[in-house]
Amino acid sequence: MSASTPKALASSGQKPIQEMCHPLGLEEAAGVLTPSPDVGNTRNSIGEKDLSLPNGTPVETSSPASSSSLLNRLQLDDDLDGETRDLFVTVDDPRKHVSTMETYITYRVATKTTRVEFDLPEYSVRRRYQDFDWLRTRLEDSQPTHLIPPLPEKFVMKGVVDRFSEEFVETRRKALDKFLKRVADHPVLSFNEHLNAFLSAKDLNKRQGLALLTKMGESVKYVTGGYKLRARPMEFAAMGEYLDMFTPKLGTIDRIAQRIIKEQSEYLVELREYGPVYSTWAVSEAELEEPLEGVASCIANCSSALDELTEDMSEDFLPVLREYVLYVESMKSVLKKRDSVQAEYEAKLEASASRKEEGTTTAVPTDVEKCQDKVECFNADLKADWDRWQNNKRQDFRQLLTGMADHNIHYYEKCLTAWESVIPLLQDQQSQETRSDIEKD
Amino acid sequence: MMADCAPEEIAVIGNIDHTSAELKNNIRNSMVEMEKGLLRKMEISVAEAEKRSGKNAVNMLETYTVYLIETRPVDAVTEDMTPAPDLLWRRYSEFELLRNYLLVTYPFVVVAPLPEKRAEIAWHKLSADNMDPDFVERRRVGLENFLLRVACHPVLCNDKIFYLFLTEEKGWKEMVYDTGFQAKADSWLKATNAAFRVKNPDKRFTELKHYSDELQAVLSQLLRVRARVADRLYGVYKVHGNYGRVFSEWSAIEKEMGDGLQSAGHHVDVYAASVDDILEEEENYADQLKEYLFYTDALRAVCRKHELTQFELETAAQDLASKKQQKEELVTGTVRTFSFKGMASKLFGQETAEQREAKIQVLEQQIDEGEEAVKEKNKESEDFVKTAWVDVERFKEQKDRDLKEALISYAIMQISMCKKGIQVWTNAKECFNKM
Repeated sequence: MSASTPKALASSGQKPIQEMCHPLGLEEAAGVLTPSPDVGNTRNSIGEKDLSLPNGTPVETSSPASSSSLLNRLQLDDDLDGETRDLFVTVDDPRKHVSTMETYITYRVATKTTRVEFDLPEYSVRRRYQDFDWLRTRLEDSQPTHLIPPLPEKFVMKGVVDRFSEEFVETRRKALDKFLKRVADHPVLSFNEHLNAFLSAKDLNKRQGLALLTKMGESVKYVTGGYKLRARPMEFAAMGEYLDMFTPKLGTIDRIAQRIIKEQSEYLVELREYGPVYSTWAVSEAELEEPLEGVASCIANCSSALDELTEDMSEDFLPVLREYVLYVESMKSVLKKRDSVQAEYEAKLEASASRKEEGTTTAVPTDVEKCQDKVECFNADLKADWDRWQNNKRQDFRQLLTGMADHNIHYYEKCLTAWESVIPLLQDQQSQETRSDIEKD
Repeated sequence: MMADCAPEEIAVIGNIDHTSAELKNNIRNSMVEMEKGLLRKMEISVAEAEKRSGKNAVNMLETYTVYLIETRPVDAVTEDMTPAPDLLWRRYSEFELLRNYLLVTYPFVVVAPLPEKRAEIAWHKLSADNMDPDFVERRRVGLENFLLRVACHPVLCNDKIFYLFLTEEKGWKEMVYDTGFQAKADSWLKATNAAFRVKNPDKRFTELKHYSDELQAVLSQLLRVRARVADRLYGVYKVHGNYGRVFSEWSAIEKEMGDGLQSAGHHVDVYAASVDDILEEEENYADQLKEYLFYTDALRAVCRKHELTQFELETAAQDLASKKQQKEELVTGTVRTFSFKGMASKLFGQETAEQREAKIQVLEQQIDEGEEAVKEKNKESEDFVKTAWVDVERFKEQKDRDLKEALISYAIMQISMCKKGIQVWTNAKECFNKM
């Protein structure tokens, strides 16, 4: 196996994976934003060269959706320093299920892997939101020292949002896909049994989860409260501070983005009234009729372009921002857990130190040592996850903001084309002949 | 621009590079370049505006604006020297007086309108205050436009009072009143306000009246909606300015991302600020539309005058016809229509032969006079229709030309706005990529 990622829990001493390309970047680059399995075909031109998995097996293009993201991962993997991937997941193909009891949506979860932990190289299962939620909870419980990526919001107000509308389902699918990719990319989380079950089991027996407790040894239960933290190490304090400063920025950006969408919508309303007035005017005119109609249809085109811009921003921009708010919340809670582990250790250490003074024992008790180990492990995991998170955050926001710039550029390009096409209508035959004379020079 | 002045600049689509100053009054430029009428002999401009205070008719202190009119003979400008222009100051009310005089004296002419007295159709940023410098500036341009239109007009350019308006500051008002136009104005006012029905108006004028009503309605609506669109566009651009601030704050807490964010924020600020210039330019387009909105009043006035002359003709003809009929009745002794005279004669007995003969004499004289009157009115009406229609055709051509020009400028403005948008977002994208 050429995969270099370890199976065991990364403990202190392991180098964090730095330059791994973020799955989000791949998703967006692949343009795989629709649920239909045909989408992958649009990117097949990239896959002209002979691509194969790290262990030499050729890339199968049979299941298009996952293979397109596959192709694109391999594409971008060129800049990795030797790091290879052997687990690829995709969430797509949402379908509505209607039963007597309820109506719900399931998504196809497709997996391609060469890992020995999996019996087969490929899987395709159907999962619903509940299943993702189950997975996340299991991950949180079994990997408490790690940052688990967030899921999209569980509850939606039934009256306000249509849970079965195309936009809502698509937004959710993208978020679920992101979630799963982030987990699959994680050097530790990706080896979790629950993830394995989630990806491979035909029927997800969720009660199974309780029996499949982590192989790590003792169940890690954390005492919340009770112990007060003495001295938070600088780097973790800095993390907390950063998050406290970062969160309001996210909020502000979200508010600004929403406000812009609102202003654009109101602008659109006026534009939709503006264009037709030129048409009305055209009716009364003779020579000006054609130019005025031209202006009217030009404004109509600009209106459509604006509509698209607003929609794109709503669908692409806002959900990602919101997700980061959730991500920050997850990170904060992991930091809190770390604090309480450290607090427990400190309390136990102090207790044993005072007992030493009393002369009742001479050796450091084993439970204090275990606590110290716990703290050190946690710190190492958290630091590694923090670095990953920072890196992913940087890539996510780079992509998010360049996406915003792109949407605006495309909008203005469409408007430019529309207005340029009006100019010829406004000029006499006479001057058009003059123009063609000039262009001949 | 006119078909014969630099269409290449517009035609080469990839190279539309009009400065805003050029666009500002492309219609004015084309009038000057055409060098028609009075403009062949003199340059005219409304160069400045100034605030003055003085006591008015009721001895109260008021503040008003005066406009500087500069004129200079065309041939005075030689290679060696450009002599100073002749100057005089006029206030808005004097322009109004001039226009009223022209309207009354040349009723067959579609007289150019004056700019708004008060800013009525404005979007929120523009002040409706007459003293606002932007408003005063746009009014100055509008007044100059008016003078150029009159100076270009084949008939109006020869008017003495107009010439004196440009050259004689003192005593001009008295000269206007000396022409006695006020009396004509009063009777014209009375006539236009009276309700009358014309039986046989010239169809072209009826159509023209409908057209001016339609044009007025559609241009009013267009200007209103455009103002709302401008309002909304302003909002969209300005909200983007908030990104600049938050990116700047955010960049302070980031390491690698900081520079990219900071510089991108600068570009988004530039984007937000660009809307001010964009909307200022658009005001020129709105002003051009407004001129034609106000022109519809002049069109309607010409139609009304036609109706009036036609009505006078029809009335005269009707009078003549009834006199002729009366004579016929007396001569033949038959009473065809009911009349009190008829009734009276039935009740009180027939008139004597002499009485009847006398009446016939009177009627015959009235008929002669009536026929003269009808001839006169007919000629008046025909002449009016002829001269008015010539001017209407001239106006139509001017309108088509000018409005096409205005639409071209508008399209060019939009194209420039789109290009700026593409540029600024491309710059921002480059910065984001460096994050």
